[in-house]
Amino acid sequence: MKNNIYLFAFLTFSFFSFAQSVEFEKDNFPGKKEELREAKKKLDIGIDSYVQGRKEFDDFKKNYVSETKILPVSHYDYQKAGFTFFRNALSPLTDAQRFNPKNARLNYMLGFVWFISDPSNAETLKYLETAYSLDPKVEPDLAYWLAWANHLNSKWDEAIKYYQLHLTFLQQKAKSNALDIDDANKKIAECNQGKKYSTNPERVFVDNLGSSVNTSYPEYGPSITADEETIIFTARRDNSTGLKRDENDNGFYEDVYISNKKNGKWQPSVQLSKNVNTENHDAAAGLSPDGSKLYVYRHSGKDGGDLYESTLFGADWEPPVHMNKNINTKYHESSVSVNGDGHRIYFVSDKESGLGDRDIYFSDMDVKGEWGAAKNIGPEINTKYAEEAVFMHPDGVTLYFSSKGHNNMGGYDIFKSTFVNGKWSAPENLGYPINGPDDDVFFVVSGSGSRAYFASAKQGGFGEKDIYKITFLGAEKNPLLNSQDQLIAMRANPVSNLKTENAVEVKMAKVTILKGVVTDAKTNQPLEALIELIDNDKNQVIATFKSNSATGKYLVTLPSGKNYGIAVKKDSYLFHSENFNLPEGADYQEFNKDVALKKIEIGSVIVLRNIFFDFDKATLRPESANELERLIKLLNDNPGIKIELGSHTDSKGSDEYNMKLSDNRSKSVVDYLINKGISSSRLVAKGYGETKPIDTNDTDAGRQNNRRTEFKILEK
Amino acid sequence: MRTLLSATFIIGFICVNAQDTVKVAGNLTPDQLAEQDYNYGLAALKKNDCSAAVDLFSKSLAAKPNFDKALANRAIAYTHLKKHAEAVKDINDAIKINPQNPETYFNKGLIYFELNQKDSENVALDNCLKLKADHAEAAYYKGILLYETSDFDKAIEFFSKAISSNSNYAYAYNDRGSAKRAKNDNAGAIADYEKAISIDGSLTFIHNNLGSAYRLNKNYPKAIEAYTKAIQANPAYLTALINRGATQFENNNLKAAQADFEEVLKKDPNNAGAYNNLSSIAIKNKDYKKGKDMAARSIQLDEKNGPAYYNRGIARQMLHEEEGSCADWKKALELGVEGAKAFINSSCD
Repeated sequence: MKNNIYLFAFLTFSFFSFAQSVEFEKDNFPGKKEELREAKKKLDIGIDSYVQGRKEFDDFKKNYVSETKILPVSHYDYQKAGFTFFRNALSPLTDAQRFNPKNARLNYMLGFVWFISDPSNAETLKYLETAYSLDPKVEPDLAYWLAWANHLNSKWDEAIKYYQLHLTFLQQKAKSNALDIDDANKKIAECNQGKKYSTNPERVFVDNLGSSVNTSYPEYGPSITADEETIIFTARRDNSTGLKRDENDNGFYEDVYISNKKNGKWQPSVQLSKNVNTENHDAAAGLSPDGSKLYVYRHSGKDGGDLYESTLFGADWEPPVHMNKNINTKYHESSVSVNGDGHRIYFVSDKESGLGDRDIYFSDMDVKGEWGAAKNIGPEINTKYAEEAVFMHPDGVTLYFSSKGHNNMGGYDIFKSTFVNGKWSAPENLGYPINGPDDDVFFVVSGSGSRAYFASAKQGGFGEKDIYKITFLGAEKNPLLNSQDQLIAMRANPVSNLKTENAVEVKMAKVTILKGVVTDAKTNQPLEALIELIDNDKNQVIATFKSNSATGKYLVTLPSGKNYGIAVKKDSYLFHSENFNLPEGADYQEFNKDVALKKIEIGSVIVLRNIFFDFDKATLRPESANELERLIKLLNDNPGIKIELGSHTDSKGSDEYNMKLSDNRSKSVVDYLINKGISSSRLVAKGYGETKPIDTNDTDAGRQNNRRTEFKILEK
Repeated sequence: MRTLLSATFIIGFICVNAQDTVKVAGNLTPDQLAEQDYNYGLAALKKNDCSAAVDLFSKSLAAKPNFDKALANRAIAYTHLKKHAEAVKDINDAIKINPQNPETYFNKGLIYFELNQKDSENVALDNCLKLKADHAEAAYYKGILLYETSDFDKAIEFFSKAISSNSNYAYAYNDRGSAKRAKNDNAGAIADYEKAISIDGSLTFIHNNLGSAYRLNKNYPKAIEAYTKAIQANPAYLTALINRGATQFENNNLKAAQADFEEVLKKDPNNAGAYNNLSSIAIKNKDYKKGKDMAARSIQLDEKNGPAYYNRGIARQMLHEEEGSCADWKKALELGVEGAKAFINSSCD
């Protein structure tokens, strides 16, 4: 009967529809009478199912609102109410729409049916948009469903626009529509949040875990060990224990599955044993960080859904044990997370004592190892809307949970809160694309915090819900440039700054050049003669050299400041000796000393310049030895010659004294020669005193020249 | 030099008269020989013939073992030859003989500077400054020493001393500017760099430093102007070209940056820095494949290029090569890129 009322309303309303909407009337389809009739027939069948489904849906909603005092936040809250009827309606309505695509109401119905089945599907939006374009007022809630469909497709501005239109409609009866107005405003706020978050998306990779974990059946509710080596999850596969389907949605019953990682790759997942999996729903509700405790959700139909604990024993899990009454109540309990030390458990319950829909509670283990009285985690986390899927990170302070009541962008969103200084921080929306306009639940994070796992029915998967891994990339990383500065000027080459000591002035002895020409005294012809250089101080011949045979020249460098003697000798000639002092003077000085050698001839006289006596005495000094040796050699080389050794003084002193001194000095020389083996018969000693000066006695130099010993050839 | 010429004169004189009978009777005394060889050694050192210099100083020292200057200069020659142990021994022997010569202490300081033995360097420079408080270079190097131990205030003090002893000490102005820069006194740094340039505008690296100081101040036009002057003064000075490109990058002028880095590669096809900077541009343009390739090329050319590992890590992360990216960041951190630590903490196990 009620179905007929809906049908009547439909047809009546159609009559007054906007001109754009094309009604199923023969005038609108000339020449298509048969097709029209067939289409109307389908339409009738579809409407019949739709009206029944809609009634079931509306009743569900009415009860939901009555119980929760809020409108459903998530489309899942409708629990596919009327789904069976809507599924039956879909095909005939689609056929009718294919014949007449421009009927506003038909498009509305199809859009609604699609919304209940798959609200974010493009078909949903297509039918609702078409309906709206044909007649925006075809149903008073058209703008609402259209807004929500856009919302679920992240078309934030479009969604806001239609929510606003719907709000305008609701505000006509604001008092009676208060809950609807709250709902519309919440959804507008969600769209604004979604717009904000999706403009600055979180940098993450979202990767399907692959065919080892996911199949064409639903996989969801992942739990991982802290080291990410094991994942346990719920699936509704065709190998479900007992192979039974849930009549509510025709899906297989839930079982718990496990996969382990080997060499970084997930191995094919396997069902847990029948210890854990039964013929009814068995869902993974949580796993301890060390992987030794598994929490299972089971729903017997009477208990509202309870939590069980199973312990890993060897390779298998022990049969799950029903958790105590501090955890389980007659209400719905789900989702468990244990902190790092295993002494606190967090879980979700919709028991009446909560702050709203489902809330998060915690319980501490008592000394007997039993879970103590549960406490609500508090209003910082729990809201009047539902919280679900609690996960305490192994760090013990970071809580991840899903909520419909914070700054959401649609349905459940995942939030993070940190327990610091005894307080929970304001929940932080994990942002887009971790969260989206649809439900985002069951989010678990690796021990390292750099990855997370969750389930999603997003496109591109293996089918239904799949389990995905999120890799957090962190804030955008700015690349680093290579640039260079030579900040310290000398750092590169300090050695170049080493200070060399300056050049030194080489302390050369004052050098005197002694040079001259050796000639024959009579002919002035140059002679090659042997020249001996004597260091008179050391009484040593320090050099022997010859004058040039062609030029008679010689040259010798002598350090200044010394007393030197030279003797120039040549066969058949008397030797020539010279004694000279080279005083310290200029750096460089030259002395010219030409030597004229006399032939050995009777009467030839040679001054023996290098014979020295003690002052005012007739004692020969040792430095006279070289000169005397030359004389001895001359006498030995010329055994026929007889010589006179004559000694002279300057004019200082008395004549008599000088005569006696010179006489004694000549005798000293003769005695020396005799002692050296020269026959006394060849030697005559004679003192001349000051009688035969060869230079002036008025100067030192002249007097020095006058003080001399000579020898004269007496016989040859 | 006069003495060297005198010596040459005597030898030459003798040689010119070789047809006559001559005899060098006045052989050089050991001291004279030592001094003569010392001078020849010095001439060799100045011609960078350090091996010959060592031989000649050694000859000199054989004749005159206590010849402190020969020891000091042989130490320098050894330092050039990287024979630091010998250098240290010689310089210490020179100081034993003549402990009052500030230059010997200064050289000792520089030898230890070269050896990166900062404590010994510090002692030597202090000794030099005790003997000669206004030794500009000793003060300057003391400043460097302090700069390198991050005592920038003291470094500035000593660079200032060097400047007060030598008001045209461009390097000291440059380095004081760098110390000021390290203290975030960019305005002071800019003033010092500009003063250094006014003393010697040919020092391209100071133009470059000036550019970098402006760049730190985010005064990109002035930075680019300074770098450009360095490049104009010496087109082969690729450092300034790299830095100008980096400035263009920071100024979001990626096209100009790319042109500079490509210009660097034209002149030096093996320039690791340019490849890395091209990698930065590719990453900025979200061309991660190219970013990775460019960074890899940079690493191939310079396996110690920390920023290249850092960049390749970023590119690899975005190419979903997490393991590779973490390995790269760990290497970058090992090479001193501290920024990699945060990435490792947030993204790696």
